[in-house]
Amino acid sequence: MGMLIATSLLIFTVLRLLPGDPIITRLGATPGIDAETIQRLREEAGLEAPLVEQYLTWVAGIFRGDFGQSFFNQFSVTELIIMRLPATLQLTFTGILIAILIAVPAGVWASLRPLGVADRITTAFSTASIAMPQFIVGIVLILVFAVQLQWLPARGYVPPTESLSDNILRMILPAVTLGIAGAPLLLRYLRATMIEVLASPYIRTAIGKGQTGSGVIIKHALRNALIPTLTMLGLLLGYSLGGVVIIEYVFGIPGLGSLAIDAVFKRDYAVLQSVVLLVAGLFILVSLTVDLLYGVLDPRLRVGRSRG
Amino acid sequence: MAEKPRNKLEKHSQPRILSRVRWPETISLTLLGIIVLGSVFAPILAPYDPIQQSSNRLQDSSLLHLFGTDELGRDLLSRVMHGGQLTMSIAAGATLLAMVLGVAWGMIAAFLRGLPDEILMRLADSVMAIPQILLALVFISALGADPFNLAVIVGLLLTPTTARLVRSSVLAELEEDYFMAAIAFGSPRYRLLLVEVLPNIRGPLTVQTALNAANAILLEASLSFVGLGIAPPEATWGTLVQQGFQKIYQSVSYIIYPALLIFLVIWLLNVLADQLGGSNDLQGKKR
Repeated sequence: MGMLIATSLLIFTVLRLLPGDPIITRLGATPGIDAETIQRLREEAGLEAPLVEQYLTWVAGIFRGDFGQSFFNQFSVTELIIMRLPATLQLTFTGILIAILIAVPAGVWASLRPLGVADRITTAFSTASIAMPQFIVGIVLILVFAVQLQWLPARGYVPPTESLSDNILRMILPAVTLGIAGAPLLLRYLRATMIEVLASPYIRTAIGKGQTGSGVIIKHALRNALIPTLTMLGLLLGYSLGGVVIIEYVFGIPGLGSLAIDAVFKRDYAVLQSVVLLVAGLFILVSLTVDLLYGVLDPRLRVGRSRG
Repeated sequence: MAEKPRNKLEKHSQPRILSRVRWPETISLTLLGIIVLGSVFAPILAPYDPIQQSSNRLQDSSLLHLFGTDELGRDLLSRVMHGGQLTMSIAAGATLLAMVLGVAWGMIAAFLRGLPDEILMRLADSVMAIPQILLALVFISALGADPFNLAVIVGLLLTPTTARLVRSSVLAELEEDYFMAAIAFGSPRYRLLLVEVLPNIRGPLTVQTALNAANAILLEASLSFVGLGIAPPEATWGTLVQQGFQKIYQSVSYIIYPALLIFLVIWLLNVLADQLGGSNDLQGKKR
């Protein structure tokens, strides 16, 4: 909660205290506007009130689920967010799912023989893909699968309610982009934990009592290694929420990210501040949940602590 | 070779360092050097004037135009080289700002402890809770994006991470004997921090510098790519990728070379940071 207040204050302060007037930007192209109209519009947008009052109005509104009014079109910010949220959520969760599908097998494979061939290959790939900006991953995928092979559409978004097959078809490339970008984070961590777990005495015990290789790896080792990896998942979600901003732009998906970018072009502070706060709030919420889950899932953690 | 390491030198482990050339480090430094020099000396080295238009539009790579040409027939290799200049200046400015502010921020927090530490680190946490790119959007809409502002914005975004690292490195140093000795000598505070502690955390600082530079290039490129960073006629690599993206169906080389350079520089900086971090662990095992 304290974090959210600090974050909201930060966003608000940066947007309001720095120069630049959204109303003048909005009217920039319209001829024949006098000072009086500008004044009236500023009052309507609530920009004439003292800053503290503006801030409190905004925050009080959020608690009622009302993010305020967009400076530019007739929709309220809440409506805009609700319109844009589904695409972003679908992209984020599909992306994370793909990241898991890449990272878990690869991480396990790499951990079986540290510094072996598999390990070196996955390490090389993950180092490269960490350095690869998400928009470049997206561009490469578009170049290969849309421009050259023409297997998949390059851009656009169709809601699943309209046509499920079109929706899936257009979601493949962006989701894979997000997955490739996020996988190394998980992979590196899982690999390290797996190596640690595989070296522990209870694994030797399991092998000693006659468990076969894959049984040991999946049942005993992976299950224990996945618990700390969960923490990484929280981090990955935060990373992905930042990543979707760029990926939505690359693939022309109307989500929260492109809403934020549009808002910057138009200096629509009302929209921008709320979208950014919403994403930051989601991120804080997820980290908190993961912290709590961690204690629930891993009893060793609690025992370990009381022993000091 | 076999005779020399027998004497005193061995204790300083110098022969080992000499005999073992660190290839990844050497190669990445060399490649980075070439790219940096190519950008810095672009006005001399570039084969064409980057704004000279011609009738050879949207050509693919050829001997005449190694990186091809853009929609106005300008030579892309020359544009990439000149764009590198702006890219590097912004990244360098941002990195410098992040290091200076981050070191000050982290040191003050570590040294004062108590309430100031609490406030400074909570502030860092709340900045880090917002995805960097979104916070960058907030700053850009407030300040606008010319090269100078962009360097400042990116630098500010990288500061909290740097501050966190500096704080924890400094805290570890405060436990060391030499620090106690310096206090016993009666050194003033600024001396304790700048002369005693700062040189001792230069290892992690070097690694962080490389990572910050990589992140600065990434952030600037992402922003320019979505059209909120450097806008034409000025161009960084990110801007060039943005322009190439519009023509992706007409020309592959337009987009691929600037994109490749962005990737390469970030990757090399990461490799360098990895290597430097690794060698640090070997030199001074703290725990």
